[in-house]
Amino acid sequence: MPQAPKLAPTLGELLQERGVSRRAFLKYASYLSAVMALPAGSASALAEGLANARRQSVIWLSFQECTGCTESLTRSFSPTLESLIFDLISLDYHHTLQAASGEAAEKAREAAMAENKGKYVVVVDGAVPTKDGGLYSTIAGVSNLDMLKATAKDAMAVIAVGTCAAFGGIPKARPNPTGAAAIDEIITDKPIINIPGCPPIPEAMAGVVSYLVSFVKLPELDHLRRPKAFFGETIHDRCYRRPFYERGLFAEGFDDAGARQGWCLYKVGCKGPVTYNACATLKWNGGVSFPIQSGHGCLGCSEPDFWDQGGFYRPLSTNLRDMGPALAGAALAGAALGAGAAWASRRHQESYQREQNPNEGDKK
Amino acid sequence: MTTQALHPSVSPQEPPRLTGMSEAVLAEVAARLAEVVAGASVPPIDLTAMPLTSEDRADLEQRLGRGEVFATVESAGRSQIWETQFSGVWFVRHFGENDRIASECIEFGAAPEILFSHRADMSAAARRLAAALQSADAREKTDH
Ligand code: SF4
Ligand code: SF4
Repeated sequence: MPQAPKLAPTLGELLQERGVSRRAFLKYASYLSAVMALPAGSASALAEGLANARRQSVIWLSFQECTGCTESLTRSFSPTLESLIFDLISLDYHHTLQAASGEAAEKAREAAMAENKGKYVVVVDGAVPTKDGGLYSTIAGVSNLDMLKATAKDAMAVIAVGTCAAFGGIPKARPNPTGAAAIDEIITDKPIINIPGCPPIPEAMAGVVSYLVSFVKLPELDHLRRPKAFFGETIHDRCYRRPFYERGLFAEGFDDAGARQGWCLYKVGCKGPVTYNACATLKWNGGVSFPIQSGHGCLGCSEPDFWDQGGFYRPLSTNLRDMGPALAGAALAGAALGAGAAWASRRHQESYQREQNPNEGDKK
Repeated sequence: MTTQALHPSVSPQEPPRLTGMSEAVLAEVAARLAEVVAGASVPPIDLTAMPLTSEDRADLEQRLGRGEVFATVESAGRSQIWETQFSGVWFVRHFGENDRIASECIEFGAAPEILFSHRADMSAAARRLAAALQSADAREKTDH
């Protein structure tokens, strides 16, 4: 009798062999649903979904980048709850992490693509040089541009990890000598999730991948294709220095009395009011701190073109003033009045983006 | 124990204070417990991302108090679970790395879900136990 093809084990079965019980799934699911603000009571469903899913094939492409994104994902977990993410995926190709190199590595990528046609997820970190046929960055003689197009062709979805992949980032900074472009400028026929940040918060990367694996659908995204669960609010919306902002108490330098008293960093260049990211709530290094808590303003690293916003230490209003009097007025009014600041910061963000990309409509 | 949750921290310059949030959560706890008593099953209240100050949290924990059951679960890190002084109201706290609170919630009912053995784990355990007995049997036979 012909035998039915043997299905790959489910994640529940796979982890059970290693002594990981369903309680671990439930715990991971509670953690994820808290972090992603999923509806109350969804942890059980998420846990069951994860346990019954099969390992997700992931092909990770690193292009014009500094490896900071990979560092962020791999360095931040100790072998407890958060590290479970590595058991959920089968990382079939990743230049930095895989043992194979050269032709063997490229063969592994091709094999994973053939075996999981239409089902694998492509994760990209780094921008893609497009000038002069993309010759500024090649892997095994293939330009990043060609490799991205070929690998994304049969993918289920593409996750652009880090600001370089999501928005072009530092490679795209003026004068952009290599013609660096974001992933969604090149791939236009696949679902794309952007997880920007320089580097992105590891919980955001892990959360999105887990969500994809267990629910087999994209989480809710904003107009820049960022998951709302992590990019739904500005740093300023959740900043603990906000009471000082509201009262108009600002540090004027990094060593003045205001700075020592923990006052708002708006005047020393904080970009928190126009930056959507989860640093103020999830924080960094396992929840230890985040830049503002360590005394430095937000650089706005999860926003398009953050590198070219006129200086990290110049107050937002100054930058905005360069761009037009109406915007500067809105920002200054926010600082002076305080009231309705969250609303004002949303407005800044919108007008700021319109100003940046006058020809770009809703990217959705 | 020093722990840091996911909720926004409170500036050292702003002494933490009661905001009334613990009161609001307690009212919600009472409403949900009443539903459970009436036979409904109700979702947990997730405290992780709630804008509670540390004083709100302490107030909530203190007013819910400790009941008869306290359990530690060691699975992908540590979790602490206790029944509050109100039967059917459970506090579930999961820790991530560095003893940081990864998530915490209030669950309702006879016992929180994490304390139950999952059917899949039970059937794996049954297989494991049977195999262990079999190999013990085989060893005994070869010994004699
Ligand atoms: S401007 Fe920056 S430091 Fe000030 S409250 Fe907003 S995010 Fe915090
Ligand atoms: S605080 Fe701002 S600059 Fe810093 S990591 Fe977060 S979003 Fe990026």
